[in-house]
Amino acid sequence: MDFEIINPATTLELLGTINELQSKHFRFGAGYSDLLMELKKKPEENLVVINLSQIKDTAFTGLTISPDHVRMGAMVTAHKIVMNEQLNKDYPVLHQAALTLASTQIRQVATVGGNLCTASPSGDIACALVALIAHCEIMDSTGKTKSIPITDFFLGPRKTVIKKNEFLNGVLVSANNKLSKNIYSAFLKIGTRRSMECSVVSLAYHIQTDDDGDIIHAGVAIGASAPTIRFAKDACDYLIGKRFDHIHQKEKEEFATKVLSYADPITDIRATAWYRKEVLYNLSKSIFE
Amino acid sequence: MKKEYKVIGKPIPKQDANIRVTGKAIYGHDILLPGMLYGAILRTEHPSAIIESIDVSEAIQLPGVHCVITADDVDVNNIGYKRDHPILKKGEANCTRDEIAAVAADTKEIAQQALRLIKVNYRIRKGVYDAFEALDESAPQINKFISGKFENKNIAEKFHYEHGNLEEEKKKSKHIVSRRFTLPRMTHACMATSNITASFNNIDKKLLLYSSTQVPFLYQRDMAHALKMNPSDIRVIQPVIGGGFGSKLDMHPFEPICALLSIKTGRPVQIIYSREEEFIASPIRQPMVIDLTAGVDKDGNFTFREINIIKDNGAYTSWGATTPFVIMQAFSSLYKVKACRFDAKAVYTNNIFAGSFRGYGNPQATFALERVIDLLAGELGMDKADIRLLNANEKGEVTGQGLHYDTCGHKECLETVIEHSGYRTRSLQNNDKRYKRGIGIASMLHVGGGAKIYRSDGCGTTLKIDPYGYCTIITGSNEIGQGSETVLAMMASEELGIELSKIKVINTDTDVKPWDVGVHASRTSFVAGNSLLGAIRILKEKLNKKAAEFLKTSHFDFDYSDNMIIPVNTKEGIALDKVVREMHFSAPNELAIASFFYEPSSKFQDKDFKGNVSGTYAFAAQAIEVEVDTYTGNVKVLDIYVAQDVGKVLNPLLLGGQIEGGILQGVGYALTEELLMKEGRILNPNFHNYKMLTASDIPDIHFYPVETLDKEGPYGAKGVGEAPLIPTAAAIANAICNALDLDVLDLPIIPEKILTALAEKKGTK
Amino acid sequence: MIKEHKESRLKEEVLHVISFMLNERQVTCKIKSSTVLLDLIRDHFSLKGTKPGCYEGECGACTVLINEAPVNSCLYLAVNANGKNITTIEGLVKSDGTLHPVQESLIEHGAIQCGFCTSGMAMSIKALMNQYENAQHVPGDIRIEIPTRNEIKKYLEGNLCRCTGYVKIIDAAEQLFAKEDQ
Repeated sequence: MDFEIINPATTLELLGTINELQSKHFRFGAGYSDLLMELKKKPEENLVVINLSQIKDTAFTGLTISPDHVRMGAMVTAHKIVMNEQLNKDYPVLHQAALTLASTQIRQVATVGGNLCTASPSGDIACALVALIAHCEIMDSTGKTKSIPITDFFLGPRKTVIKKNEFLNGVLVSANNKLSKNIYSAFLKIGTRRSMECSVVSLAYHIQTDDDGDIIHAGVAIGASAPTIRFAKDACDYLIGKRFDHIHQKEKEEFATKVLSYADPITDIRATAWYRKEVLYNLSKSIFE
Repeated sequence: MKKEYKVIGKPIPKQDANIRVTGKAIYGHDILLPGMLYGAILRTEHPSAIIESIDVSEAIQLPGVHCVITADDVDVNNIGYKRDHPILKKGEANCTRDEIAAVAADTKEIAQQALRLIKVNYRIRKGVYDAFEALDESAPQINKFISGKFENKNIAEKFHYEHGNLEEEKKKSKHIVSRRFTLPRMTHACMATSNITASFNNIDKKLLLYSSTQVPFLYQRDMAHALKMNPSDIRVIQPVIGGGFGSKLDMHPFEPICALLSIKTGRPVQIIYSREEEFIASPIRQPMVIDLTAGVDKDGNFTFREINIIKDNGAYTSWGATTPFVIMQAFSSLYKVKACRFDAKAVYTNNIFAGSFRGYGNPQATFALERVIDLLAGELGMDKADIRLLNANEKGEVTGQGLHYDTCGHKECLETVIEHSGYRTRSLQNNDKRYKRGIGIASMLHVGGGAKIYRSDGCGTTLKIDPYGYCTIITGSNEIGQGSETVLAMMASEELGIELSKIKVINTDTDVKPWDVGVHASRTSFVAGNSLLGAIRILKEKLNKKAAEFLKTSHFDFDYSDNMIIPVNTKEGIALDKVVREMHFSAPNELAIASFFYEPSSKFQDKDFKGNVSGTYAFAAQAIEVEVDTYTGNVKVLDIYVAQDVGKVLNPLLLGGQIEGGILQGVGYALTEELLMKEGRILNPNFHNYKMLTASDIPDIHFYPVETLDKEGPYGAKGVGEAPLIPTAAAIANAICNALDLDVLDLPIIPEKILTALAEKKGTK
Repeated sequence: MIKEHKESRLKEEVLHVISFMLNERQVTCKIKSSTVLLDLIRDHFSLKGTKPGCYEGECGACTVLINEAPVNSCLYLAVNANGKNITTIEGLVKSDGTLHPVQESLIEHGAIQCGFCTSGMAMSIKALMNQYENAQHVPGDIRIEIPTRNEIKKYLEGNLCRCTGYVKIIDAAEQLFAKEDQ
């Protein structure tokens, strides 16, 4: 494992670095828990690592909660998410996803940006953010930003829409619906152990109901079940208008079948495709039990 | 009547805990000698291949490389229990671990770089990765160093045992159950990876090894044989050892390789495994297929057991091939059984070879046996606890194999866990649609006083007291984290009345310490303890004599307490250090020193494997409650109730640590741990995919020691180290079967296996 | 094959100068871009108490505190240690040899067997104590009450141990918080 490292201290310096390196082979380093493992297994020749972890700008490192959204800079750590009381209250799915990520130690360094840009089909925070229909704020090397829905962010395993002259600056999550009375929100992660797991299957959901208990918003995402994390749109649409606590067996099954239609899992050493589908179906039903 | 002790039986922390908790303990990884080079090993790219050529010319040219060796550069003997294992492989590769070449370089990075420059031409051939396939006549001979001792060229070792009239007992059986059980590869995963530092002095031709072997004297002899040296020219020093569990019973090729690199360069050389290398190249628990047929009469008495085992030996033979010694004991002698016929074969394949692992075959055997007992109870319609109690072993029993149970806590252990787990009173309601609960019972028998499998199962001790009243115990036994140093110091403190802070244990240097067979078979407290007590008796005779002289008394009965020697029933005594000074410095000037070699009363078994192989026997039972998530197949182990016949509790704190640690390894064996292999390659050589349990996975463990005070044991104690993990997988499997009405036949019981079984039962898969 | 000894020449490396607090002492050193903190503290500073268990961020034996938080030093770039406050197991002991309460508790509870995981465990437990103390005054953070046994288990999930079955380690940690409660 050998590489050169560049340590920009501000976003401005980062833009300059990205511009300079356009003709070279470079990668971003944030928490390094994935990058170092990858480079140890497969060293890359003439690699320059742009070290993001010394940038001080709060837009990049901070977590801000305003009335209409939550904004997380790309360098916000899993630990910071776990510790935030407001996120825990408003977005249990995100809190739980961050809390089940790897280990206590890894959560100190693992970042939102890293979890998204690695584009692993089993990314935990990423799966929760898909369920929350987050928006990704991408900046290019001229300093221009654009915002795209997270459902458009992933192109395939380890592939995102980010171009060589761009980077992920932050993530925005809309505030819960003003009319929402109850929130049913959780991250269900299945593995062999209770800790240190990479999901064999994961299911993230964030469902809001109004005063009458009717579902007014639903976000459901599946992890480790397809080449990318997927948003189960049909399943979400199916729920709108239904009473959360009156969903009967048939409807649960129909919902689960709709979730499952987004799954296209692989068989690997951790589980077969059959098992992944079976569990995903069961977990989908379990939301209403 | 229970004797009161001052030190024995007290929860005293490990005496060396302070150096370990401050980072001051020196492990093999921390050794840095002047001029030391770093060694690294090139392993085969293919598990089965002809090696056509090896070109090291580029590697040797790399700046910083001092030496590159292949089989052609060394004059050595094969290693291993059957001497069927070349240290460096020549001509062919037979398993994924095979060592092809090794380098010594200035830095670890250069050593790794050099390995990448070695060019090996392989001609890949079809390997044999299944033991049954290897037994086929058409299979190639996998290990060329073994001559046809057995009927099939790929049999590495075989065992046959029987007692009683099997055919007769079959006829008497009301029910007979037959099952085939498949047991996985589990690996020790010691927290410290394998390591060695070798320092050859090319002036006096002596070899110094800093090695984490758990059997230093056997290792010294094996190393000498491998390197064609005199054993006494090899000194083995054990740094602090970061986990053993049986993995360090065999000498592995990297150890003589490191010595060879040192011999060739005249410099100290260190080899430390990476974690991936540890998963690939350190030993495993033997994978095996057990066919078990067992019967029961109409009243529930066990009639017979017929066992056929095929063990995947891998490409070379380690001590692991001898686990049937222990396996047959479980089948012949755990619960009363009138007849038993046992056959086991270790079969060569191109897979990785096994080693020894805590329990030594017994977890596999107990899993099969205790599963079948549940099935027999089911056939009879008898309660699973009752059938066990009815057939439990008893004090005074001599088993079909000739094991003498002078003390036996088997029934008491079973009764204890049955009672505390609420087995008989627990409600059988299992109404939850998703989560199902179950409870399972299993018990075990294991050697508790060493195992006479080597010519001697003994241990030597030299004990001295210095003129300041401090005591040094020089023991043949080793500390591998289990706490033997502390237990020995406690015994000396109890007997000599010297506080623990004045007692030192020297146990790391073969040039200093007396002979011992090594850490295995849960023997250290028992054998080294008895050895120490023997030395104390001798030394006390000397001290008593001197004290009597000094006190001008004809009294020869003394209490040793608070650093004083006090005639029994008197108050006035004399300071121990004063007596020692008197011995040393006044005529006839004698040292306060004594040596003793203890040999357990156990017997070598005869050619039919009959005989009382251990000084005493340990028993244990566990009752385990689980909750299974039928949506995911995940098993949550809720409570583990464990009772173990430990003879006598020497130190409840250390004992608890052995019990809890062993049990969690057992839970891992039951539910999560398996080294996965495909075509001879390991698929999960990392902690990420080899699922060792974490702190958040642990169940509540309730431990009830059973004291049977064995007359052979020190203070009545028996060996305890291996027992805790032996029945765990069996009890968990029984609990899962109880919860879901399944018939579990393999380990580990991963979530997918459960969902598959449930789907098959429902007919949806 | 043995070779005549040649001087080993390493490729010209880009070196970075970093400066940080290591166990309450200011240190400065030159490092390669790819140097990880674990190697720096073990090889350069010769602090061997931090253990290399896997170099994969999976076992936690190499856990050190960076600005009071537990981090796997095997996956932490030394470059990023610049300006930080780093504590290793050696830093827990006072200069007069008095052990830290975490260490005392681990000993008393019989939580140490082979000891290879112990340094990392001790650092993680210390980090939990830090988190508990600090969280009382970080605005917006969840205020942790005395951690429950399950929270302790969860916190120690990244520290593997093969000997003890974790029970006594968790007991040792639990006791520390029980004391604070009194």
